[in-house]
Amino acid sequence: MADTIHSPVALIVPRASPSPGILLLKRLWRERAVRTGAVIVGIVLLAALSAPVVSHLLGHGPMEQFEGTALDEMGLPIGPTLEFPLGADGNGRDVLVRTLYGAQVSLLVGVPATTIAMIIGTAIGLVSGFFAGRTDRIISQAIDVALSFPFVVTALSLLALNRGGTGQPIVPPMVVVITIIALFSWAYFARLARGLVLELRTSPMVEASRTIGASWARIIWFDILPNILPTVFVYWAVQLPANIVAEATLSFLGVGIQAPMPSWGNMIAEAQRTSLYQEQPWFLAGPGLALFLTVVGFNTLSAGLRNVLDPNRRRA
Amino acid sequence: MVKQFSSVVLRSISTLVIVLILSFFITRIAYRNPAAMLAPRNATQESIDAVARALRLDDPWYLQLWYYLFRGPDIQGAPMGLMHWPPALGYSFRKQAPVTDLILAKAPVTLSLAIGALVIWMTIAIFSGVAAARWQGRLIDHVLAFFAYVGLSVPTFLSGILISYFLFFQLSNQGIHWFPSSGYVPLSEDPLQWARHLALPWATLAIAEIGLFQRMVRASMLDVLGHDFIRTARAKGVPEGRVYFSHALKSALNPILTLGGLELAAIMGGAIVTETIFGLDGVGRMAIAAALEGDFPVVIGTTIFAASAFITTTLAVDLVAQWRDPANRN
Repeated sequence: MADTIHSPVALIVPRASPSPGILLLKRLWRERAVRTGAVIVGIVLLAALSAPVVSHLLGHGPMEQFEGTALDEMGLPIGPTLEFPLGADGNGRDVLVRTLYGAQVSLLVGVPATTIAMIIGTAIGLVSGFFAGRTDRIISQAIDVALSFPFVVTALSLLALNRGGTGQPIVPPMVVVITIIALFSWAYFARLARGLVLELRTSPMVEASRTIGASWARIIWFDILPNILPTVFVYWAVQLPANIVAEATLSFLGVGIQAPMPSWGNMIAEAQRTSLYQEQPWFLAGPGLALFLTVVGFNTLSAGLRNVLDPNRRRA
Repeated sequence: MVKQFSSVVLRSISTLVIVLILSFFITRIAYRNPAAMLAPRNATQESIDAVARALRLDDPWYLQLWYYLFRGPDIQGAPMGLMHWPPALGYSFRKQAPVTDLILAKAPVTLSLAIGALVIWMTIAIFSGVAAARWQGRLIDHVLAFFAYVGLSVPTFLSGILISYFLFFQLSNQGIHWFPSSGYVPLSEDPLQWARHLALPWATLAIAEIGLFQRMVRASMLDVLGHDFIRTARAKGVPEGRVYFSHALKSALNPILTLGGLELAAIMGGAIVTETIFGLDGVGRMAIAAALEGDFPVVIGTTIFAASAFITTTLAVDLVAQWRDPANRN
C-alpha cells in the first residue's frame, strides 16, 4: 500500500522556468502601449489577409468596375449599401474591397522596404563604427550625402527615369517604389548602428574578446550584433509607419503604385481629384481611416517597444 | 572653436560637392540626347549633330563634368555651369527656359509657405510643450499628448484634404468665405490676402510638425528642469514664467533648433503634397508636374536646389548650435 503513495514532492517540482522569449513577451505585454499597438496592428494584418475572402463573399474584384449596379443614373457612385458596404468610387469599384487590398499593398511595400533598409543600413553602420578611421569617415560622408537628397523630389526623378522612351515603366513600379524607399531609409539605420557600435567597441566586453584573440568577425557576430539588434529592431518598427506613409505619398502624387491597382495613396488622390468625396464621404474615409489606423497602430507599438527594450530612453 | 567651425564647414562643402557630382551622373542618364530635344522638330541629322557639337556633347565625360560644374557652352543664350550666381541648374527643353529662372520664379511661394508654417508650428509647439512639461501628468498633459499623437499620425495629404474640406468647402457652403481654396498673392502686393491664401496650407504643414515638436519641447524641458540652476533660479526669486521661458527653454532649445532646421529644409525643397492640394504654384508643384511629363532637367534642377538648401540649413543650424554652446564661449 505504502508503495502506491506518490511522493507529494513530485507535485511541487517546479516546471521548467519560462524561456527568455516568453519572459520578454510577458514584459512587453505589461506595457499598455504595446498591447494597444499590437491589437491595432493585428486588425490591420487581419484586414490585409481577409481581402481575398471579402472580395469573394461580395463577388467584387479589387479592380472590377460595376457601372451598372454601383453608379446611379447621373453616373455618381452610390453610398453604402448591403452590396457595397463602403459604397463605390467614381469608376464603380467597391471601396471596401479596394481598401482591404490597399492594406496588402501597403504592407507588401512597407515591410520589404524597411527590412532591406535595416539589413543594408545596419551592415554599413557596423562596418563604419567598428573600423573607425578612414572607413568611418568615408561611410559617414556617404550617409550625409544620402540624407541630403530630398525624398519626394529625388524619388520623382528616379521614377521619371524608370519611364522608358515609350512611357511604359521599365521595371514594375512596385519594385521601384520599394527600392526608392529602402534607398532613403538605410541611412537612418546606418547612423543608428554606427552610434551604437562606436560605444560598444571600447567596452570591456569587446576588450576581453580581443584579449583572448577573437577575430573581428567573431567579435561582431557574438559580441556586438546581439547587443545592437534589439535597438535596431525597435527602430524598424519606428521606421515602418514612416515608410508606409512614404509609399502612400508617392502613390497620392501619381508616381507610386498606379491605378487601377489599389493603394491607399492613389485611392485618396482619386477621391480628391474628382471631388466625389464631397458626395460620398466613404470614398475618402475608407482609405483615409485605414491609413491613419495603420500609422497609429505601428507608432503606438513602436513607442511601447522602445519604452520596454531601450534602456537608454527612459520615458520622459 | 575656429577649428570646430571650419571642420563643420568643410564637411558640408564636401557633401555638397559629392551631391553635385552624383546629380551630374543622374543628369547624364536622364538627358537622352539633348541635342535632338533642342533642335527644331524636323531637323536633319546634320543640324542635330551641329547642335551637339555646339553643346560639346561629344566631349569625354570628365570634360562634361567640368562644363557642368564650372562653365559650359551657352544653351540659347543662357549660361551653363554651376559656378555662377545664381548657379545654372540646367535647361528645360520643354519650357525653353533655364531651370534656375523657373525655380527662382516659384521660390517666393515655397519660401512664404515654409517660413510662415515654421513660425506657426514653433510658437504653438513651444507654448504647448512648456505647458505639458509644467503640468506634467495632469489632464492638460494628456490632452496635449493626445493631439500631438493624432497630428503625428495623420499623413500630410490626408490632413490637407480634410482641412480644405472642412475649412473651405463646408464653410463656403455656409456662405462663409474666410479662406480661398487655392492660389497665391505676393506679400508685396497685399499682406492680408497673402496670409489668407496661405492660412490653410500653413495649418496643414504645421499640424504634423506641432505634434513632433511639442513632444520634443516637453521632453527636453523635463530634462532641463531637474538641473540645479533651475532650483537656484527659483530660490533667488525668479518669477515662474521666466524660469520656464528664459532659463529652462534656453538650455532645452538645441535639439529643437536642429530638428527645426531639418524640417524647414525639407519643406523648402518642395512641400509637394501641400502645394498640390492647395494649388500653390511653388517649387514642389513644378517638380511633380515636370516629373509626370518627363521634363528631367527641371526635376534634377529641383533636386540639386533642395539638396543644397538642406546642406546649407544643416550647416547653419550646426554653427548656431556650436555658437550657443557655453563650452565655446571666449
